[in-house]
Amino acid sequence: MKPNFIQKVTNWGNFPVVEKEMKSEDSFRKIKEFVLNHNEVIARGNGRCYGDASLGEHIFSTKKLNKFISFDRLNGIIECESGVLLSEVLEISVPQGYFLYVTPGTKFVSVGGAIASDVHGKNHHAEGCFSEYVIEFKLMNESGDIMTCSREENSDKFWATIGGMGLTGIILTAKFKLKNIESAYIRQESIKAENLDEIFRLFDESESWTYTVAWIDCLQKGKDIGRSILMRGEHAFQHELPDHLKKNPLRLKGKFEPTVPFYFPNFVLNSLTVKIFNLLYYKKQAKKEVKNFIDYETFFYPLDAVHEWNRIYGKSGFIQYQMVIPKETGKEGMKKILETIAHSGNGSFLAVLKLFGKNNPQAYNSFPVEGYTLALDFKVNSKLKKLVDKLDEIVQEFGGRIYLTKDSMSRSSLTNYLKNIQNPKFVSLQHKRIINNN
Amino acid sequence: MIVLGSTSEVAQAFVEKALQEGEKFEKIYLFTSNKETAERFARHIDVKFVQQSEIIELDLTREIDYTTFDNINSNVLFCATGYLGEGTEEGLYDNKNTEKIIHINYSKLVPVMNYFAQKFESRRSGTIIGLSSVAGDRGRQSNFIYGSAKAAFTAYLSGLRNYLFDKKVHVLTIKPGFMATKMTEGLPLNPKLTATPKQAATCIYKAYKKQKNVAYVLPIWAVIMMIIRNIPEFIFKKLKL
Ligand SMILES: Cc1cc2nc3c(=O)[nH]c(=O)nc-3n(C[C@H](O)[C@H](O)[C@H](O)COP(=O)(O)OP(=O)(O)OC[C@H]3O[C@@H](n4cnc5c(N)ncnc54)[C@H](O)[C@@H]3O)c2cc1C
Repeated sequence: MKPNFIQKVTNWGNFPVVEKEMKSEDSFRKIKEFVLNHNEVIARGNGRCYGDASLGEHIFSTKKLNKFISFDRLNGIIECESGVLLSEVLEISVPQGYFLYVTPGTKFVSVGGAIASDVHGKNHHAEGCFSEYVIEFKLMNESGDIMTCSREENSDKFWATIGGMGLTGIILTAKFKLKNIESAYIRQESIKAENLDEIFRLFDESESWTYTVAWIDCLQKGKDIGRSILMRGEHAFQHELPDHLKKNPLRLKGKFEPTVPFYFPNFVLNSLTVKIFNLLYYKKQAKKEVKNFIDYETFFYPLDAVHEWNRIYGKSGFIQYQMVIPKETGKEGMKKILETIAHSGNGSFLAVLKLFGKNNPQAYNSFPVEGYTLALDFKVNSKLKKLVDKLDEIVQEFGGRIYLTKDSMSRSSLTNYLKNIQNPKFVSLQHKRIINNN
Repeated sequence: MIVLGSTSEVAQAFVEKALQEGEKFEKIYLFTSNKETAERFARHIDVKFVQQSEIIELDLTREIDYTTFDNINSNVLFCATGYLGEGTEEGLYDNKNTEKIIHINYSKLVPVMNYFAQKFESRRSGTIIGLSSVAGDRGRQSNFIYGSAKAAFTAYLSGLRNYLFDKKVHVLTIKPGFMATKMTEGLPLNPKLTATPKQAATCIYKAYKKQKNVAYVLPIWAVIMMIIRNIPEFIFKKLKL
């Protein structure tokens, strides 16, 4: 039996599915061999991007680069290999009183993936992107050499790689800062908003909160457009906590985590079921305003509680459509987008609205710019391409752009924004699609 | 804990499992022929569990200086040392291949195991865990050199268990079936019959705690191997396994 590394690979959206070579190595010498022996290499972390960003002809999986290197417990600086997951970082950092400065909505992403996408969280307006806290990383370039990149050393490569979607090389290790916390809990307030005007007003009023995010019911029409729930939160101090949590503030009790056992058949998810889901979600909260303490898992990663939830979209998969529209015209743009979706009847299960703060101009490949960002899930079906095209049209009109790590079918004028990444060695299917303009 | 073959993914998963379960070790001795990979693991468990460890180079194809092991004492010996080598088709008549398989899986390994077994015996406590293989349950045409070395190792562990029983030292034989590790990467293994290193570690840890004698990593392998062992030889010799 000779090994065969060609396999079916797909990312979180289960679309597209490709058959390509995928290999994982844990020694830098062997990774170098892999890089030198292949053209069109792309790194892949935990495959939590939605589309084709981490797919390529020869995929290098960082699955085996899964070791921690050091942890300065005094200053909260951690160093690990790029395949370590944020969940693994939290496992050891939270009990020590440290949290990630920036985390996406799932903790199952790799550190390499977090840098390559320069991920943002619910605190972008207050604390920026993941890269703000990255001290340095080691990058393997096209000649197989290992470069240490930081703001001082090889800084051009440092900034090109941040948000660079793997097109500058393979991130091998990374060192980054963590933030102090006194407890593993979040002091949360959730407030219902009747419509778009109200939710925008709430966002403005909540600017001093570290974390803000809104869930939108995007099937509403007319005056109810933008019906939503705003959630804002702060890391709770120990003294604030209710008594039963005070004793062991940095430890969460074990929780039951169900798994979706199989792909749901196609009829399960249709506009009716989405409507019902969104209605329940909105009505679940009876009061206008609820204040409580919840554990960080529930606050940051509500979806991680159901493993493999992506399977509910069935075998044909789904996409996530995430755009940002600059602040000045953002509200108007959002309204148009939501109207278009409501009329299409192609309901989104999950729509998340966020306000981005100012971007770091040095991190020129990062997706966020000051403005409004909306993320929506759509099941892949025959009507989807048309809807995406309509939405792209609006985003274009309002001068916005699409988040590459979620993209799999948007027009290239909205996704072709990366700079200084031209490198024939590291090529993803996404990048090929974008430069070939289809 | 003393770990022979400490760069094996199963060995590392087992060490992590034990530490996660709250087991405490004064030091973990990581024996390896691959220092770089062992060092990664040593740093890793230090960051994750604040666990001290020491790396000790051991190359079973070379002369071994036992005096360097003098100060090593522990209550658990975990042996994941193994070498698959070339199968029958490519490697049967290649003596270097044959010798290497036999040395690493049995002939050079057993004296090292014995060295530590003696320490355990004199202290009248401890557990020795050895990873053998289902390949040792019956010689099959595809890889019987490896299988025969593992069969010998299985017999050794069984004898050792018997010998050390009244000396209060327990010996556990683990028989993994297919495992998704470096050894088998890229091979078309049936996922239902294949355990991940993590799964294997969980199962081995359970067997260790329950003082089992012999354990298959996935229970299905106990059934498969029972069938394979019981096929009459006159039929078996005609099969292409
Ligand atoms: C439920 C869910 C919620 C999410 N919420 C958010 C959110 O709130 N904010 C946000 O910003 N994102 C969010 N994401 C997207 C996710 O954070 C990013 O896609 C992240 O990059 C995925 O990391 P990964 O390790 O899975 O990388 P992959 O998906 O495997 O790869 C993503 C990109 O990183 C590159 N890459 C990965 N590893 C390396 C490496 N070692 N060296 C070089 N390049 C590398 C790949 O080439 C690819 O371009 C969410 C995703 C999911 C599934």
